[in-house]
Amino acid sequence: MIRRPLTWIAALGLVAALTVGLVVAVSPHRPATAQSGQAITVQRAHAGSATPTVKKRIVLLTIGSDSGAPKFGRGGSVETGRADALQLVVLDTVRQRGAVVSFPRDSYVPIPGHGTSKLNAAMAFGGPPLLVQTFERLTGLTIDYYALTSFDGLTDIVNKVGGVQVNVDMNLRDHFAGAFLDKGRQTLDGSQALAYARARKTLPGGDFDRSRHQGQILLGGLGTFQRQVARDPTRVMTWLAVMRDEVKTDLPFPELLRLALLATRVPPSRIQNIPVPSVAGSAGGASVVRLLPGAYSLFARLRAGQLS
Amino acid sequence: MIVAARSNTRPPLLCSAVLAAAVLLAAGCTSGGRSEGGQATTPTTAAAPAQPLRVRLVTTAQVPPGGLSAARAAKRAAPGLERFLDRYLSAAYVNAAGGEAGWDGLLGLFDKPVRASARKQLDALSLGQAAPTVTAVRPGQATAKAVVLYGDGGPEAATVRVSFDGTADTAKGSGPVRLRSVLQLLATGDSWRIAAFDSRTGPPK
Repeated sequence: MIRRPLTWIAALGLVAALTVGLVVAVSPHRPATAQSGQAITVQRAHAGSATPTVKKRIVLLTIGSDSGAPKFGRGGSVETGRADALQLVVLDTVRQRGAVVSFPRDSYVPIPGHGTSKLNAAMAFGGPPLLVQTFERLTGLTIDYYALTSFDGLTDIVNKVGGVQVNVDMNLRDHFAGAFLDKGRQTLDGSQALAYARARKTLPGGDFDRSRHQGQILLGGLGTFQRQVARDPTRVMTWLAVMRDEVKTDLPFPELLRLALLATRVPPSRIQNIPVPSVAGSAGGASVVRLLPGAYSLFARLRAGQLS
Repeated sequence: MIVAARSNTRPPLLCSAVLAAAVLLAAGCTSGGRSEGGQATTPTTAAAPAQPLRVRLVTTAQVPPGGLSAARAAKRAAPGLERFLDRYLSAAYVNAAGGEAGWDGLLGLFDKPVRASARKQLDALSLGQAAPTVTAVRPGQATAKAVVLYGDGGPEAATVRVSFDGTADTAKGSGPVRLRSVLQLLATGDSWRIAAFDSRTGPPK
């Protein structure tokens, strides 16, 4: 009478033990969480990002040559043509600010070894190195790198990246440059971008307006680049491929990549588009552009790191 | 008598059954321990991975005019990229368990101009602070999609989207670990360096 319940209890215990033992034994992947039955949180959510740290200030000279563009009937070498679009891009990489300083191509300036002449002639006299030297003497800034392209290059760049968004600041009907654009933000294709960059004769400010428009295209390109990369980071490779094919530069590739990655972070709104203060004039019967005292004050501010 | 007979006959059966149950229980424990590297019973012992880390990589390439075809360039670049991603995930997760290895191996995979930033953001790039508590990481799915910029002399740069899921074992149990990264890579001749990153770890927010 006493033994029977004990026997049943023992039998039940045995069955339970057997069941547990069997289940555990045949289970192929017993998780380590079997004790608790639930996965634990090992890793909390974290997010982070970084682009390269580069030197504190970078000065890049961008050059648009009037040669080396067969599609536009411009023969010769891109490096020995006249430099018709000239922008000095000054970047403060720490404060993530910058300035695009646009120079009229007819700026009448001293060219080392060639007296005083139009700025755009410096490249024809001695290629990009002499142009860089001319800029360094003129501004007192050390130019780190140059980037040079042609009419063909600019149109191909813009077309290959799918157009650049530019805020066109006036209605344009310039049949000399083929620029027929209405005022307002719009995406320009290659030929429109080139026309906007070249239009001068019908503009109220002439060369001054043209220089500003060239700066707008550069900044429009930066904004377009950033939007595309934000949507699809692999677009960095597309843009680098286009630059490699269409731009001549003394930037070593690793530095080009680092600058491109840095450029994903610098808002275009923090980059001033500054045409160099200048006025139309003449020299020896030729029409030239003379830099005003404000130009030299601007260079001094840039040397001091004031990007405005 | 009947009771006695029963009682006489059952104790030997019970003993055998209890013995059998004990053997099965022991077998169950041992089996579980073996299949999972023993982390359930000996949580401080490093577990052997349930499956080796293997990155499944899909590569496309941007090529210069007149050079290799994009398909051939992608094929040539893929093995080196795969090795690099394997090194990254091993250093960030599989070999990071226990925290004894430190992070120098992982940080060595970063380009110098971004290394200091990477050091400050290890939690977004790897097991991070969790590493010392983890006894083993069992890799799950590891996939990557790469776009390689191919130059005349070989790969120059690449953008890689990396996705890694695994299970980390700790003394308190196991849990998922996860990495979703976009890595901008610079080719360095025989390997790659991370020039920029945008990375997330842990459960999705």
